[in-house]
Amino acid sequence: MKRFAMAASLVMLASTYANAQTSEQLVKGATDTSNVLNYGMGYNLQRFSSLNQINKDTVKNLVPVWNYSFNDDRSEESQPLVYQGVIYVTSHNATMAVDAKTGKQIWKSKVEYPAETPRIVCCGIINRGAALYDGKVIRTTLDANVIALDAKDGKELWRQKAADIKEGYSMTVAPLVADGVVITGISGAEFGTRGFIDGWDPATGKHLWRTHSIPSPDEPGGDTWKGDTWKLGGGSTWITGSYDPELNTVYWGIGNPGPFNSAVRPGDNLYTCSVLAMDPKTGKIKWHYQFSPNNPFDYDSVAEMVLADMNVEGKPTKVLMDANRNGFFYVLDRTNGKLLAANPYVKVNWATGIDMKTGRPIETDVSKDARDGKKVTVYPSILGGKNWEPMSFNPQTGIAYANTLSFGGKYKSEPVTFKQGEWYLGMDLTDPWEFGDGARGHLKAIDPMTGKAKWEAPADIPRFSGVLSTAGGVVFTGALTGEFEAFDADTGKKLWQFQTGSGIEGQPVTWQQDGVQYVAVTSGYGGVYSLFSGDERLAKVPPGGSLWVFAVKQ
Amino acid sequence: MLKDISLKTVAILATVAVLTVALAATVRAADDATGDPVQAQIDHGKATYASKCSHCHGPNLMNSGTITPDLRAFPDDRTRFVTTVKNGKNNRMPPWGDILNDDEISNLWAFISSRRKP
Repeated sequence: MKRFAMAASLVMLASTYANAQTSEQLVKGATDTSNVLNYGMGYNLQRFSSLNQINKDTVKNLVPVWNYSFNDDRSEESQPLVYQGVIYVTSHNATMAVDAKTGKQIWKSKVEYPAETPRIVCCGIINRGAALYDGKVIRTTLDANVIALDAKDGKELWRQKAADIKEGYSMTVAPLVADGVVITGISGAEFGTRGFIDGWDPATGKHLWRTHSIPSPDEPGGDTWKGDTWKLGGGSTWITGSYDPELNTVYWGIGNPGPFNSAVRPGDNLYTCSVLAMDPKTGKIKWHYQFSPNNPFDYDSVAEMVLADMNVEGKPTKVLMDANRNGFFYVLDRTNGKLLAANPYVKVNWATGIDMKTGRPIETDVSKDARDGKKVTVYPSILGGKNWEPMSFNPQTGIAYANTLSFGGKYKSEPVTFKQGEWYLGMDLTDPWEFGDGARGHLKAIDPMTGKAKWEAPADIPRFSGVLSTAGGVVFTGALTGEFEAFDADTGKKLWQFQTGSGIEGQPVTWQQDGVQYVAVTSGYGGVYSLFSGDERLAKVPPGGSLWVFAVKQ
Repeated sequence: MLKDISLKTVAILATVAVLTVALAATVRAADDATGDPVQAQIDHGKATYASKCSHCHGPNLMNSGTITPDLRAFPDDRTRFVTTVKNGKNNRMPPWGDILNDDEISNLWAFISSRRKP
């Protein structure tokens, strides 16, 4: 009897391990077409799939397979993950596992947080997705906890509080698991916080390391802050980093300094508006590159750092790409942080260019006047040339596809006093936009080395959805007015669209199961543009979160 | 007959309403010039709104009203407003009773009332 029990438990153990995906699988995520294991559809965050069942010819026959309601009407920006026929998706108040073929719910695990939490959430009630590792679904919560659930039934296995909402911290980031470490960022730079990145043990939740995005005076870079300004210096880390397993390096973008009013914090303000190259086991910084020193305009640099191997001047080069919020498209050598290219991909007037030797922006009077407290019209606006919504990079064509923003802003700093847990901006937000008459956004096919667009597809109300490109020559994205859209990757011609019922801020993904290629995206809006733009055309777009899955009609 | 009376009543009410609005506008103009306490309340409420409310309800109350309520369309119901601000609502609107005192909430109400959509 005893022997039987032991054998049974061994079998159970073996099956658990067989079902739990591993570090090795995560490393191969970008080419695993039967699953979607990583945020960004691969450690490189390329959001590219080699699948081609859905292509330029067949995409017109794309039809919905099912729709799954989140029973929620907040902003649905979560990237679905897919493993062995199960979709794992999050909202601010739940984690869900859904059968990929039928759309039937397998489990739903509620996420609760104190009612006070939204007071310190700047830009929408959001969660951007989970990480899968060793049979666990790991996610963050709005009240700054990191939790691990059992992938089988959604039961909570461990919970760690990363920070306190009373101090202005919150979390929306999808965790990254790299080299066996769960890595998470933090939100809150608009509330006088000091940002950081954490490492956790996936098995137990044990806290392994914390690297602050704002150095203290005795750390390298600490001399780029005056007095105590570093304590409230911002530098959020709310978008998932990329990871190069060969170099064993994580690349994580750092957000805006706090407050916006740059006169309060003279100096370069490292590592705000920068990218950090880090060791995943220790959190140690290997190198950094700062895009926008002492920035007044909220040119947050958290958005995705896409990794690719490209020919640069005839030499195969390991690069990192970033369509920065400051309006320049950067290409860096990711082995050392050296600048290879930086060119505008939208209208820019705060700088004339980037000095290729120093890597620093060549600023215009717009920046100087803004720092001096004068009212300026700045391009791009505080929402940037591209906000958080992730682009896609097609390694077969070398083109990046990004939803860009085509408007400027009115900027004037104002005095600001810090009060814990409250808005700490120092900018007049009464009338912050310079929209103009044309389209406010464009989906652009961008050459990374020049920033020039091969084509652009305009949108009157700008798109805030992620982008997915495939070997089928199709680019998928979504509109705030609800249409899930497919474009011809070579010409930008719209090939297909489907009205999903609410605005799309989600991150489309694709995979193949039993010979069928599926595309999934969340619908449901409520993010930064809908809250801050005052765009009253959105009054006609109902909220309401759900997950859609599409396939070609057989 | 009934119809006639109704129309007459409506006409009178409309006239009264127009006069009230005109009067209010005159008073408002005078307040601006003299630094009347009502305007001071509105200004204070505007500042509180910018620091506490604008990140959900929109800069200067500009909002499509779908994700969070468009406060320019909030009904003329002071009690409901004060209760909602203090206690929060439906696990969506967070409670502010521990941060904002009665005067600050009154000033917020003055600001929001001043921007009510007709």
